[in-house]
Amino acid sequence: MALSRVPIGPYHPLQEEPEYFNLITDGEKVLDIEVNVGYNHRGIEKLSERKSFDQATFVIERICGICSTSHPFAYTRAVEDVFPVEVPERAKYIRTVIAEGERIHSHLLWLGLAGHFLGYNTLYMWVWKLREEILDVMEILSGNRNNYAMFKPGGIRRDINPDDIPLVLKKIDSIVPTLDRLRKAIIDDPVLHKRLKGIGILTKEDALDYCAVGPTARASGVEKDVRKDDPYGAYDRVDWDMIVTYKGDVFEKVVVRVLEMYESIKIIKQCLKNLPPGEIDLKLKDIPPGEGIGTHEAPRGETFHYVRSDGTNRPARHKVRAPTYMNLPTCEATVIGESIADATIILASIDPCYCCTERLTVFSPEGNKLYNGNDLIKLSQQKTDKIKKEMGLK
Amino acid sequence: MKLPKIRELLEAIKSLLTKPYTSKFPYVPHEPYPSFRGQPKFNPDKCVGCLACEQVCPAEAISHRDIVDDGIPRRIMIHYTDTCIFCGSCEANCIADNEGIKLTKEWELSFFDRSQAYETIEKELQLCEICGVVIACKDHLKWIAEKIGELSFSSPTLYQSYLKGLNIIDENILKAYKDKGRSDRIKILCARCRRETTLTTK
Repeated sequence: MALSRVPIGPYHPLQEEPEYFNLITDGEKVLDIEVNVGYNHRGIEKLSERKSFDQATFVIERICGICSTSHPFAYTRAVEDVFPVEVPERAKYIRTVIAEGERIHSHLLWLGLAGHFLGYNTLYMWVWKLREEILDVMEILSGNRNNYAMFKPGGIRRDINPDDIPLVLKKIDSIVPTLDRLRKAIIDDPVLHKRLKGIGILTKEDALDYCAVGPTARASGVEKDVRKDDPYGAYDRVDWDMIVTYKGDVFEKVVVRVLEMYESIKIIKQCLKNLPPGEIDLKLKDIPPGEGIGTHEAPRGETFHYVRSDGTNRPARHKVRAPTYMNLPTCEATVIGESIADATIILASIDPCYCCTERLTVFSPEGNKLYNGNDLIKLSQQKTDKIKKEMGLK
Repeated sequence: MKLPKIRELLEAIKSLLTKPYTSKFPYVPHEPYPSFRGQPKFNPDKCVGCLACEQVCPAEAISHRDIVDDGIPRRIMIHYTDTCIFCGSCEANCIADNEGIKLTKEWELSFFDRSQAYETIEKELQLCEICGVVIACKDHLKWIAEKIGELSFSSPTLYQSYLKGLNIIDENILKAYKDKGRSDRIKILCARCRRETTLTTK
């Protein structure tokens, strides 16, 4: 048996953090996978210990460009947990609106990329066009398309102008018909069924063993969502459902994310319609000595922050645990036994955090064949075409 | 297979009749939403040069340079466009009714040379009349005097700055103190010189 080693990384072209995967393959089949992380150490925790509690929010926001609400949300909750204090009601609602807007655009981003990997470039274009509407909504609400700079310990930084709310609701409503069509195109597509169903299965036991979080766990039937389990913000004041599916393959992960976008739209609309009047900021001055933890259900799963204060205006210790940290090891359970063409989408299906630089080389010990990131995408797209041909669609 | 084809045809006709989704950007200028956070700009009339914005800026995008030995003593407030993250902390913490530095809707901020990516304003500085070190900007001292009202008459530095600003400083008032050996106190002084003139005898 001739085993070959397929390194993916340290900069992965499809995924969102510089990670290093070592696929040990026999021909097309993946027999083993080694995962290495830690190539993107930026010293964020140390950096935030140098900033004041207020300034650190902006550093935390830049841990990830896509989760630029999740990390500050968890961080501000951790700082508020040091007191502990309750933020004003209006701030809670606005925080929820921003967090859910982020969830929609993050899921749309992932959906578009997944479409691109599978050779559905039309889907990619449509989804990213739809994402623009959400980014416009975020710009109206917060003043920026990403990195919203809305969160601060004790409240939020800027209020939502009541005059903007009708426009925002109109824009949110306008994406629903397109989203419906996308849902039908994705969930009812026979090629995608054949391509994605039954690959990369993460069983419920594995999901629990690996402590998977977020849509990755929910697609495997684990009913785990911080928003339901430990309600914060306005999540216990609005009506929404947790989306759980049970098969755990890549297709189910797509389904969970698509359906979650509808729940997010529901939450945003309810929050904006019932926005309570009042203060938006507690104007916290001195953080007492102590420690606090904060969690938030990010688009990718539970984000966890720990903050220790020694009574000065800077955090003495700050610990961040991003959801991908928990989800990444699940690829040991999902990728093994699949083909290299499928590994692309399975590794991407956990939606790891994005900061990819196109630098990937795949080589075999014989040493002649070199693949780069585009080749891998092509490999994956060719497989979809093959399935289409077999089904007589092309 | 027929139904999707008809739908595609309808879609094609519809997109022929509708405007393109993309904008004609370089030819038609882009107008951001009213709440857009663009480049912060100093307002030279309102800014008092207190450096609160420099203190709170998380990205260290605001700094200053004091020029005392060349012409009128002045403080140059510098805002680095390339470092700024447009968070609005400077505006939120501005002591001059949040108007000394304000976020604008300006977003076309590209430069050919990164070393040119900054904006400055100049504020006149007040120096200590004895030792010549920087006390604060003249506008800042005036702002404090206005803020605390009649209490400012407990501090010669404050009320003299205020009165000088109004052009009503009278040398005769100071003359009365000179004979009693207290003329040093009735000056615009830095904290160190005030302590020396008040608490120690030379």
